Amino acid sequence: MSKTKTKITIAVTGLNNTDNPGPGVPVIRSLKESTEFDVRIIGLVYETLEPGIYMEGLCDKIFQIPYPSAGSDELIDRIEQIHNQDKIDVLIPNFDSELFSFMKNEERLLRSGIHTFLPTMKQFQEREKDKLIEYGEKYGIKVPASINLGSLGQISEIKEKLKYPVMVKGQFYDAYVANNLEQVKQIFHKISDKWGLPVIIQEFVKGTEVNVIALGDGLGNTIAAVPMRKQYITDKGKAWGGITLSDEKMLEITRSLIRQTKWKGGMELELIKTVSGEYYLIEINPRIPAWVYLAVGAGQNIPEALVKLALGQEVAPMGEYKAGKMFVRYSYDILVDLEKFETIAMNGEI
Amino acid sequence: MKITNEVRISDNGFVFNSKTGDSFNVNPTGLELTKLIAQGHDFDSIKNIFLEKYDLDDLTFEKDFYEFCALIKHHQITSQEDPLDFK
Repeated sequence: MSKTKTKITIAVTGLNNTDNPGPGVPVIRSLKESTEFDVRIIGLVYETLEPGIYMEGLCDKIFQIPYPSAGSDELIDRIEQIHNQDKIDVLIPNFDSELFSFMKNEERLLRSGIHTFLPTMKQFQEREKDKLIEYGEKYGIKVPASINLGSLGQISEIKEKLKYPVMVKGQFYDAYVANNLEQVKQIFHKISDKWGLPVIIQEFVKGTEVNVIALGDGLGNTIAAVPMRKQYITDKGKAWGGITLSDEKMLEITRSLIRQTKWKGGMELELIKTVSGEYYLIEINPRIPAWVYLAVGAGQNIPEALVKLALGQEVAPMGEYKAGKMFVRYSYDILVDLEKFETIAMNGEI
Repeated sequence: MKITNEVRISDNGFVFNSKTGDSFNVNPTGLELTKLIAQGHDFDSIKNIFLEKYDLDDLTFEKDFYEFCALIKHHQITSQEDPLDFK
C-alpha cells in the first residue's frame, strides 16, 4: 500500500530562471518529486518577467513581493498579507540579498505559522566575502588572500599584497577577473554601483572550480552533501552543465565546516582544487544553489529534507549519491498571452 | 601503477574519472592497454602480449607505452607510489 503524502503549502522565491538563474524553479521541481509531501506551491516574485511565473504546472499561485531594499517590514508585511489570504506552511527564500530580512523576522514569521530553516545571523555574517580570511583561520580551511576595498583610494594596496590577475567581487553577487589596475577600476565602479561597498579583491587561485551543495541540521550534522564540477560555464560564471563527483576530501571539508559552525539550512561551498590537490574555499553561499536538482537526481532530495527540518521533523543523514550524474541546462521560449502578464503586473498576483 | 578506484572504463573506449569529473575517449589500442593495466598486468606481461599480437619492436613498444602511461597519470587515471614503478 502506498504511503499517503502530507499536503503542504510551500512559498518559494527565486523564479528568475534566466542565464543567471535563481534556485526557485529547481527547488520547486525537487519538492514536486517528494515522496513524503504533496506540495502546493506559492511562487513569490520581485519582477513581472521572472520566467517561473509563466512555466505551466510549476506554481499554483504567484504573488509579487517588494524588494528587500524597500525595507524588511514592507517585505514581511506583504508575506503576512499573502499568508492571510493563502496559508503558507514553509517559506524557502532563495536569494542572498533577501535572507537578512527573513532571518531577522524568523520568529515573527513562525508566530504567524510560517516555518523557515535558515542560517543564524552569526552564521550568515561570519561567512560574508569580506570576512573570508578570518573565517578560514577560525575553521581551519585554506582561503585565497584578499583585500576589501572601501574606496578606490585603497587600490594601491593591490600592488603591495597581490599579483595579477585578481578576482574582483561584489559582496552579494558578481565576480570578474582583472588583469591590471585599469580593469580593477572599471569593475570596481560596475560592482559598487550595483552591490555597494566593500568590493573584494581576491587572489586568483589557479585550478578547477568545484562546488558542494549541502544541508546542515543546525546541530552540527551534515544531512546532505553532493560535490559537483562545472563542465560548462557561462560568461557570468554560472554552471550550464555539471557532473557529480566522488571526492571524499570535499565531503570531509563540508562535514568539518558544518560540524564546527553548526550550520543551519542549505549551503553551497565554492572551492578551487589546485593541480597539487589542495582545496581553497572561495565562497560560501548561504542558501540552496540553482543546481540543486542535480543533487536530487543523484539521490539526495535536499529541498524535501529542508522542509522536514523546518517543520521540526527528524531527518537522517543521506550518505549515498550517484557520482557521474550530469545536468545540462537549456533555454526555451515560452509563449505568453498578454492577459497573463497584465494580471501579474496590475494585480500583483495570479 | 594502478588504475584509481574512481575510474570507470567502458568497452567502447569511454573513460570516466568520477573524482575529477573528467572523461576521455581512448582508441582501441589505448583501451587495450588501459584494460591490461586495470587487470594488474605488469610492464613485461603487457609487452609480451603486444609483441605477440602486433608487428612491433621492443623499442617502439617501450616508447609508446611510457608515453601513454605518463598521459594517463597526468589525468589522474592511474596512481603510482613510485614514479618508476610500472608493475
